[in-house]
Amino acid sequence: MRHRKLGYLALPLLMVAALTTQARADGETIAVFTKNQTNPYFQTVRVGADVAAKTMNAKTLHYIPTKPDSIPEQLSQIEDVVVKKPSSIVFIPVDYKAMVPGVEKINEAKIPVVNITDRSAGGKFVSFIGADDYSLGLETARYLLKTLGGKGNIVIIEGVKGSLTNVDRIRGFNDAIKENPGAKLLASQPGNYQRLQALQVMENLMQSNSQIDGVLAANDAMAVGAIEALDGANRKAQVIGINGTKEAIDAIKSGKLLASGDYNGFAQGCLGTMMAIRSLRDQPVINEIVLKPTVITKDNYKPFDVPLEQRSCPTFEEAGKLGSK
Amino acid sequence: MTDITKETIAPPRSFLSQDAIQLCYRLLAAFLICAVLAVLSDSFLSLGNILNVLRQASLTFFIASGLTLVVLTAGLDLSVGANVALSACLAGTVIHQTGSPVLGILTALVVGGVVGLLNGIMVTALRIPSFIATYGMLWVLNGLTYWYMAGDTIHGFPAGFRQIGSGYLFGLPIPVYLLLIFLSIGTLFAQRTIWGQEIYAIGANPVAARLSGIPVARRLLLVYAVSGTMAGLASIIFLSRLNSAEADIGESLTLPAIAAVLIGGTSLFGGLGTVFGTFVGALILTLVLNGMNLLSVSANWQPLVTGIIVILAVWLDMKTRRRGQ
Repeated sequence: MRHRKLGYLALPLLMVAALTTQARADGETIAVFTKNQTNPYFQTVRVGADVAAKTMNAKTLHYIPTKPDSIPEQLSQIEDVVVKKPSSIVFIPVDYKAMVPGVEKINEAKIPVVNITDRSAGGKFVSFIGADDYSLGLETARYLLKTLGGKGNIVIIEGVKGSLTNVDRIRGFNDAIKENPGAKLLASQPGNYQRLQALQVMENLMQSNSQIDGVLAANDAMAVGAIEALDGANRKAQVIGINGTKEAIDAIKSGKLLASGDYNGFAQGCLGTMMAIRSLRDQPVINEIVLKPTVITKDNYKPFDVPLEQRSCPTFEEAGKLGSK
Repeated sequence: MTDITKETIAPPRSFLSQDAIQLCYRLLAAFLICAVLAVLSDSFLSLGNILNVLRQASLTFFIASGLTLVVLTAGLDLSVGANVALSACLAGTVIHQTGSPVLGILTALVVGGVVGLLNGIMVTALRIPSFIATYGMLWVLNGLTYWYMAGDTIHGFPAGFRQIGSGYLFGLPIPVYLLLIFLSIGTLFAQRTIWGQEIYAIGANPVAARLSGIPVARRLLLVYAVSGTMAGLASIIFLSRLNSAEADIGESLTLPAIAAVLIGGTSLFGGLGTVFGTFVGALILTLVLNGMNLLSVSANWQPLVTGIIVILAVWLDMKTRRRGQ
């Protein structure tokens, strides 16, 4: 009798056990680290991570420094997360060199980590998913110069000096200008990725340069700032930006912005999270994907003119073909 | 007793005369910078560029003008930039939702003013040092703005509204008119009204001010509320000039505004300085950046030069003041 009762008891227990082992195959918690809450780019990364996690039945937890790009804050967030032990981590370092000790802490805690967007200078990663800032700069600038017929007066508005993205994008811009002997670089001035600063820099540059044909801005906010300055002075120039933000797509649609380089934040968030979950489930992963730059223009903006939440992540099979390396 | 208080508050005229000497130094510095730039760049003295500089300086001035009153009471308002960001984002939403710029402007002024009032309450009723109170407020406002915007931007405003920041009237940019209006009001208020003189007295010696019957708490409330309202006004100018609101709009505004106040000769210890000095301070900061843009100074050197100018200006100030006393 007693044994039988135990048997009855065991049955639901077994069922629960079966369910929980089933549940362990998904329902993982992925901690996603981004740099700040202010740049729309990181919002696209977070939505991409959320969409990927949802389709794979996992959960995301977002860690964002309250002070944008704060090194000490991201370090202490890592310490907190290591204690909480998420299944896996998707990581954008706020500074690619300074965060190496943080990555080492994650490695010591044996939590698998995927590096996206800015390549960390050290540490062990399951995979790296990023875009190539240099070719983004090169391809967008080439598109501008093609539109201008390979000649004209160009100005560059730079992002934050010394930041990894800025150095590479500006190098790409400059190389594209050098490819065109008819093009002349008038000035390369700092806008610090800020709209207002770019607007004022553009206003100032228009004073000393009566003819500006093309503007290469290292991000979309600065590109739009430059357009406002041009509009204010009733002058025309072809402007390009980088990041493919919603605002940039709207400006491309209305013909104010020539093009924007897509940094693929959504795809980076998607793929990073996908690789993190796949490695937890012992499925194959791709160790490195450097996404090819897409120059978004009036001819191809349509797929980008869709709310982020409604976009779908590339499949694992597609992911392999997205890389340029 | 009456004699002592009279002595300690000191007649306002003596402050003014010392401030007048300081102002001459400031103007001299501004003229020197102008002279150097006029020699180095032939486009510097063009009408277009002068209007440019005035319009750009006016943005910093609006924020710094209210801040000057706070600094005159030996206080500091670190929340002005964050206040501009929140006010701009909320006003932008209201304009988008209702289509009414007037409602948007009211929103910005009310939000800005209420934030300022809360700062004032913390400083007076709770007796929290202004540096800490407004630093806390900075975080509260950033948190609210980041949460509210969630990495998005609000962009595209009615053409009529855009006129406030980008339009012209009889050949002068509209912000320049606003600059002249608020410069006059601020100067008259500080120098020619009882309230203004009481604010100087509070900064010079709060105990003496209280003993002589000045309602210190109420004047402080007023000063912080004015500072907040001016941040609200600035947010409107920004919104209409940039045609967009984003959460990090204010990040680069607070320190230049404080710098303008200090370069303008207002003492951090209170009781000394003028609103006009702050205008000259904003002008000097703008001239330096404008000049470097015109001369195509490398992006690497711009922060360095700005930093040196700020340090030089404040050092000169302290040196000349010691001699004056």
